[in-house]
Parts: sequence; structure tokens; C-alpha cells
Amino acid sequence: MQTELSHKSEISTIRDHNVINVKLRKKKVKSVFWINLLYLPALLLFCVFIFYPFFKGIVISFTNWDGYSQDYSWIGLENYKRMLADTNIGTVIKNTLIYGVGSTVLQNLIGLMYALLLNQSLKTRGLTRTIVYLPVIISPLIMGYIWYFIFQFNGGALNDIILLFRDKPVNLLSMPDVNVWIITFVNTFQFLGIAMTIYLAGLQSIPTDYYEAASLDGASSFSKFRHITLPMLAPSITINIVLNIIGGLKLFDVIVAMTNGGPGYASQSLSTMMYQTYFARQDAGYAASIGNLMFVLISIISLAALVYLRRREIAR
Amino acid sequence: MKSKKSLVLILSIIISIFHMIPLYLLVSTAFKNDSDTSSKWRLPDYVFTGNFKNAWENAHLGSAFFNNIVITVTSVILVVIIGALASYPLARYQTKLNKFMYIVFISALIVPPLTILVPLYQFIVDLGGLNSYWAMIALNVTFNLPITIFLYTGFIGTIPRELDEAAMIDGASRIGLFFKIILPLLKPVTVTTIILSGVAVWNDYQFSVFFLQDSERLTITVALSQFFSQYNNNLGWVAAGSLLGMLPLTILYLFLQRYFIQGLSAGAVKD
Amino acid sequence: MKKSLMIVMIVLLSIGIFGCSNGSDKTNASGGSVKLTVASSTADQGMKTALTDVVKAFEKENPDIKVDLQFPGSNYENILKMKMASNDLPDLFDTHGWAIKRYGNYLADLSGEKWAANLSDTIKPVITDDKGKLYALPLNEAKEGVLYNVDVLKKYNIEIPKTFDELVAASEKIVKESKGEVTPFYFAALDSWTIGQYFDYFANPLLISPKQNEAEALQNGSFDWTKWTFLPENFKKFYDKKLINQDMLTAKYVDEAKLFAENKLAFALHAPASIADVKKINPDAKMGVFPIPSIKAGDEPTFVGGERFTLGLWKDTKHAKEAKKLLDFIAKEDNIKKISDTTLAPAPFKGITAGGEFAPFYDQYKQNRVLPYFDRLYLPNGMWDVMCTLGQDLIAGNITPKEYSSKMKAEVERLSKK
Repeated sequence: MQTELSHKSEISTIRDHNVINVKLRKKKVKSVFWINLLYLPALLLFCVFIFYPFFKGIVISFTNWDGYSQDYSWIGLENYKRMLADTNIGTVIKNTLIYGVGSTVLQNLIGLMYALLLNQSLKTRGLTRTIVYLPVIISPLIMGYIWYFIFQFNGGALNDIILLFRDKPVNLLSMPDVNVWIITFVNTFQFLGIAMTIYLAGLQSIPTDYYEAASLDGASSFSKFRHITLPMLAPSITINIVLNIIGGLKLFDVIVAMTNGGPGYASQSLSTMMYQTYFARQDAGYAASIGNLMFVLISIISLAALVYLRRREIAR
Repeated sequence: MKSKKSLVLILSIIISIFHMIPLYLLVSTAFKNDSDTSSKWRLPDYVFTGNFKNAWENAHLGSAFFNNIVITVTSVILVVIIGALASYPLARYQTKLNKFMYIVFISALIVPPLTILVPLYQFIVDLGGLNSYWAMIALNVTFNLPITIFLYTGFIGTIPRELDEAAMIDGASRIGLFFKIILPLLKPVTVTTIILSGVAVWNDYQFSVFFLQDSERLTITVALSQFFSQYNNNLGWVAAGSLLGMLPLTILYLFLQRYFIQGLSAGAVKD
Repeated sequence: MKKSLMIVMIVLLSIGIFGCSNGSDKTNASGGSVKLTVASSTADQGMKTALTDVVKAFEKENPDIKVDLQFPGSNYENILKMKMASNDLPDLFDTHGWAIKRYGNYLADLSGEKWAANLSDTIKPVITDDKGKLYALPLNEAKEGVLYNVDVLKKYNIEIPKTFDELVAASEKIVKESKGEVTPFYFAALDSWTIGQYFDYFANPLLISPKQNEAEALQNGSFDWTKWTFLPENFKKFYDKKLINQDMLTAKYVDEAKLFAENKLAFALHAPASIADVKKINPDAKMGVFPIPSIKAGDEPTFVGGERFTLGLWKDTKHAKEAKKLLDFIAKEDNIKKISDTTLAPAPFKGITAGGEFAPFYDQYKQNRVLPYFDRLYLPNGMWDVMCTLGQDLIAGNITPKEYSSKMKAEVERLSKK
């Protein structure tokens, strides 16, 4: 116990020191191979529960399996050709991108603003942080239901207010271009807490003497933000953007709860389309190929974002 | 200065109110009896707790809570142990192999669970794992490992190597080093992991709905969603059920939130 | 020393995760008794209670058999599909209309059971194949038409419509005289099956029940799909004339019961299961059913019918004996009557009059023919969802009625090729 305490204080001084050096020295420690055994359990789990079924899913995409019979036949690239000819896939990809990119932009802008605000010394900030974070804890499916009751046409909470100003309720969830953004908003609302917390964490790791030095030089608060806060937050921005993009592109529960992808395909994402194709259309082969498209799409976008952001971090 | 402070205060109050809206509506609905058709915005001027009792009984939340607790607690403990162990070599011995392994682990974040659902299901059936806790726990552990490894690797990376070296000179083995020096320092990032993976496991729907069908093995989210499709016209019950379902995690979060930011700040936002 | 200890620990941990397989779920749990798994597709509280009561009585009589009744609700079909893919089905399960076409390969023959001889003449052919294999025990028999609110029709002085045109005229009268307070029809896109119901119900009078019909053309693939356009065209007209709830695209099925209870809804096109919910909200609500109006001149109104709730026996079950015992028990007259009454449906056995408060209606229309569900007989597996989604697209204005038909044609051709 005693050693733990003393190490802790030791570390915090060293850590502060490191922040200034930013990059840790990467001293080559001679590798001892057996220590890699430590990740053996994790690797086993991944192979069995992720990689193996994933490759099996790729195999299914080359068949016309209906998802439950014992027999199916190989149809080569037929499913992928069908995808190219599918008139709905364009809308679905567009929606998926809105869910992914839209929620990422919103979560980061608002999350950063909240973090800046709630990083000020304020008696109520703990309470506000908790309130903003609480939706993260609720299951996304239930969150979707709650918001459905708000946007609902008949007796929805929002329409209760709208009826005070006009005599007709509006059916926002039925409007193709509106409902996609409503779902994006709900996703943002739900996971804003994580983005905010990561930014808060980032803000708190910026040494205050940077600001003090800048104040001595007479820097305005905007230029402090521009030249100290933003660059120092770069790692937080990276992780936030990558996590939000992946989460948004995979969005599923909220869509199911609020519009079930409708009307028609208007708010369908690749994941809901895959689900529907798999189960309701009994078209497992095609569903698997949609899943693979989704995997490729998420990989490309998140990798591109990661590479770009990491470069910027280093370039600063 | 003072006006700035009050502006911040006002803004934070507005934010708080805005973010309370869904919860407020949930509460106002949960305490209304079913003949009360007043606007969802209006709080009832009486306290009606019958919804909670009905939801608890009809959604079988008792056994669902038990299942959730078993699955979540075990999964989170395993995620922490396996994740921390795996991250140590990845952070400390950055050989080519280990850099590659790190990317492999993190890339699993991208795999949409739906694409692997069906092969996974057949596999679990073959293993005899349907309706069993262990299969559910193994799945939850696996799918929460990528983010856990990401956080732990980042955090261990910020622990100065000088400590390792000093300990080695004192005669500690590499493993002893991990347990004596590194592990005690991982407390904040462990709290972060507990909260993030705890929430994910507790709320899991896509796996539990297929892998736990036995009516005694339903988890809270699945029990509630079945309850939803059945009693949708009885909003009070549904709202009360939702409130009950989120209670344990809310309490956990309130207790742990102090460490939460600390853990994120070291694990995620520095490199 | 420590190293090897560590390695042992890690290996143990890995084994611990994978090793403890083959759980006790399939084998005999709790002291030598047998556990039967029974899954039902119903989401209606009344049906659930009725079935649960019957099963409890059975357990009391047979203390060595434990029954786990599962009601996965809206996930039922998805779960069953995954179970079929892995050939791991519940001992007894609901075939909800698909005993032969979808579940047939997984079901055991029940034609040797005592109760099989008593099956009604209408239900028997639906769940028996030409080799005489009986696929399931029916718990009730579907006989569906247009559900209606008796008080609403009385209030606006409306005769039971016999033809499609009369139905439209009646709907328009209701909208006009109630000044839009009462909606004639209710559909809910969030439960998109409600939309499919319209097409499925009216496809029969359009294509099957007239003397000159398309049944053969549909079956041999020569059907001219432009003849289908009548249905989407009129559906669109219904919506445009406000004969359908205007929030259809975002509505949920559960809200329908409330509208019926408040006398704000006249008709609905589905099985009468939700009436229990209507009664719960308004015990005085009066509901009825009439056969589906005819479309072609000279034709008579018809019902759709066939299989609704059933229990089939998984062919590879380890507990066939116990499962059959349970089927025997459920097939008792009282139990079948109870379930049929609860679901307001006729009983699937000879000599049992059931249907609860709908019994008089079934009696009143006993002359009208009962045709099988259109999609089950004339459309390939997988078309149902296409029909529902296209219906939404149509109302959302994404496609025209003609496009609806051409898309149906394309999908039918694709699915039939398999």
C-alpha cells in the first residue's frame, strides 16, 4: 500500500513532465516473447466469436441461402451484382452516411461546447455533467421508444406544444428527409455524454501554466482557444470522431424503435436493411453481402478519418 | 467576471433542463394511472405507484434483474482482467507482431454484430451454449474487449518506463512487475472500463434476444421490449418498467463518476 | 516459478472460457423430470393467459414434466428461422400459418394421434399433405373478414357492405358525417404487416373468388400483373380521400385498440385478437365481423381462413412422448374451446362451437365461403414483406400503383426461380 501511494505521487510528477515532452520516449525494451501469452485469452475469444463467424458470413454472401433451410446453392457474385442494381441502396447508403457523419459532427461540436462550458468552476457543473451523461446509461432501444412518444403524431409530447401555436399536429417522423435527421439527433442526444466527458478529460489534462504564459503574452481568449486548447485536444478529437463515426454508421436500435426504417426505405440504414433482408425477406445471402458492404464502408471511412486526424496531430 | 459566471450558470441550467426532458416525460408517465389521459408534460397531482408493481410482475423483471446482474458482473470482471492482461504486452513491447495484433484487436470495433449473428448462433448451438450464461458472457466480453484494450494500452503507455526499470533492478520479474507496479496504477482507467462495458453489457439487446430465449433467462432489455410490444397502449407500465431497468446503472454511475473522467483523461486522450 | 504459474493461469482462464460448455439446458434438469420447451408466436395477452393456464393444469397433472412456455412476441419468426438454420427447435412450436411450407421439414407426423380424427373438415386439409402427414395440432381456426365497430355503423346508419364499392361508399359517408372524427380504416407502418393485410385480404375477391379467376395463372407463373394494380390504386385513393388514418406511416398497431374503444374507428383488416384490448379500455364497445366484400360483379363476399395458432412437434425432439402427452391434454374439448373463445375464432374440431362473442357472426355468415390466405397459396415465400414495404412506398409517394405491380412481378419472378 505504502509503495502504491509513493509511486502514485512519483508518477504524477513524471506525468506532468511528460505532457510537456508529449511523446513518450520509445526505448526499445528487449522483447520477451512469452509475455505475449498475456493476450492469448483475448486473441482466442476474438478468433472464435468474431473472426470465425465473420469469415463464415463472407462465405454466405456468395450463396442464395434463405436463412433457415439446410440447402442452398452457390451463385458467385450474383448478390453483389444485385446490390449494384438495387434502386434502394443509394438512399440507404445516404442515410447511413447521415447517421454516421451527421451524428459525429453534432456530437463533437456540441460535446466540445458543453465541455468548455462545464469545465468552468461552477457549483452546479457536476450535476449538469451527470444529467447530460445519464442518457448514455439508458438502453438505446428504450431511448428510441421514449423519443417516439415525443415525436408521435397522436398525443406526442412535441405535438402537445405545437398545438398551442397551430391547429394541426405535424407528423415529423413520416417526412423522409426530416426523420433521418430526427434519428441523428436522438443518437446525438444519447451519446453526447461520452463525447463531452472525453473532451472534459482532455481539457483537464492541459496544464494551466500554458494559459498563464499565454495570458502574460496578452493573448485573447479566442487565440488561447485556437492555439492552446484546440491543438492540445487533438487526441480527444481523434478518439471522439472515430468512435462516433463507427457508432453512427452501425446505428440500429434507435431506427427500429422510431421509424422501423420507414416510410418505405426513407430512414433505413445498412444495418436495418440487412436485418430486414435477412429475416423478413428471407434473403440471407443478399443480407450478408450488405453486411460486407457495411464493413468495407465503415473501415474506409473510419480509417481515413483516423489517418487524417493522426497526421494533423503530429503536424501541429 | 461576475456576469460571465452567471451566463455560464444560466447556460448550464438551460442545458440541464433540455437534457432532462425525456427523463421527465418518463417520470411523469410512470406515476400516472391509466385512466389519466392528460398531456405527457403534466405531472400528476397524485402519486400512483401501481405501474411499478405491474411492470415488475408482468415483465418478470425479478428474474431479468438477476440474469442481468450475473451476466454484467461476470462480463465486466472478465473484460477488465483479460483486457488489462492483453494490453500490457501491447503497450510495453511494441514489436512488429504486437503492433499488428493491436490493429487486429482494435479493428474488431468495426465488425457489425449483425453480420456475424447467424454464423455465431449456429456455432453457439453446436457448443450447447444457447440459454446459458457462459455463452452470453463470452460474447459480451469479446465485444467489449476492443475498446477496453484501446483504453488500457493507451493508459499503460503513459506510465513511465523508468518505473519498470527501477522495479526490475529491485529484482522483480516481468510478471511481478505487472501485478505489483502496473496494476495498482490502473484504477482510473479500470473505472472507465467498468462504466463503459457495464453499460454496454447491461443494455445489450442484439445478442440477448437471440441467445437467451428461455423465459427464465431473459435480460431486462429483452423483457422490456417484449413488454413494450404487448402493453404499448399502457404507457404508464412501460415507463415504469424503463425506469426500473435503468436504476441500477444510474446508481453505479453516480458512485463511480468521480473516477470516470480521470480514467478517460489518461487512457484515451493522451498518446 | 512465477512464470510457469502465470502461464498455467492464462491457460486455465482460456479453458475456463471455452471449456465449460455443454450446459445443462438440454438435459434433464431438476431431479429427473423432463423439461419441455414450447414456443408460441402470440403477443396477445388473452391468448397467452389461456395457453399458460392450460399448461399449468397439465403440469399439475404431470408433476414430472416441466413446461417452459416462451412468448418471444415480435421476434418469434426471426428466432425460429435461426433455430431452423441450426436444427435446434423447441419441442413444440407454433407454425402460425406455415406448418407445411416453411416448417414442414422440421415437423413430426401427428396423424396417428387420438385427436386427429376429430379435426374439422376445413382445417384438416390445410395442415395435412397429400401423403396424409399431419403437421400440427391447431389451437383455433382462422376465419377472418372485416372487423367493424358495431356502434359506429349503427350511428351513421350503414348497412353491412357486400361489395367493394359499397365499402368505399360507407367509408366516405362515415368521414363526411362524422366530419373526420371517425376514421374508416387504420393501418400502421411501424407494424408493417397491417398494410400487407389489405393486399392479402382483397387479393382473394379480386383474383381468386370470382368464377373467372387467376388462380391457375398465378400458380404457373403466367399471371398478368397489371391486373394487380387495382389494389394499390385503391389503397392510394383510400389514403388520399382520408379513409385511412393520416398518420399511417408512423403509426403503431397497438394504438388501434384505443381508437376502436373510443368509437373513432370503423373497420380493420386482421384477426380479432386485439378486441380483448378494446374491451379492456371500453368494456361496452361492440365489435363484429363481416366477410370481405366482393370486387367482381356476380361474386359473393368471402372469408379468409386456415391455420392460425398451432403447435407442431419437432421431429428430432428428445421428448416426443411427453410432448405428445401435452398435445393430448391441450386437445381436450374444454381447452380448445377456451383458446378458440379467447381468440374469437372458430374451433378446429368437429362438434365444438366456439368463437366467443363472434360465434353469432360466424353463424350468421356460415354460407359464405372461406378461402385460404392469398399469400400463403399464391405468392412465393418472402413476398409478404415486399408487399408491406411497397405499400408504405406507395403512400409515401415514392412509387405509383403501376410501379407497385411491376415491382411485385419482378420480386415474384426472382423468388420463384430459387
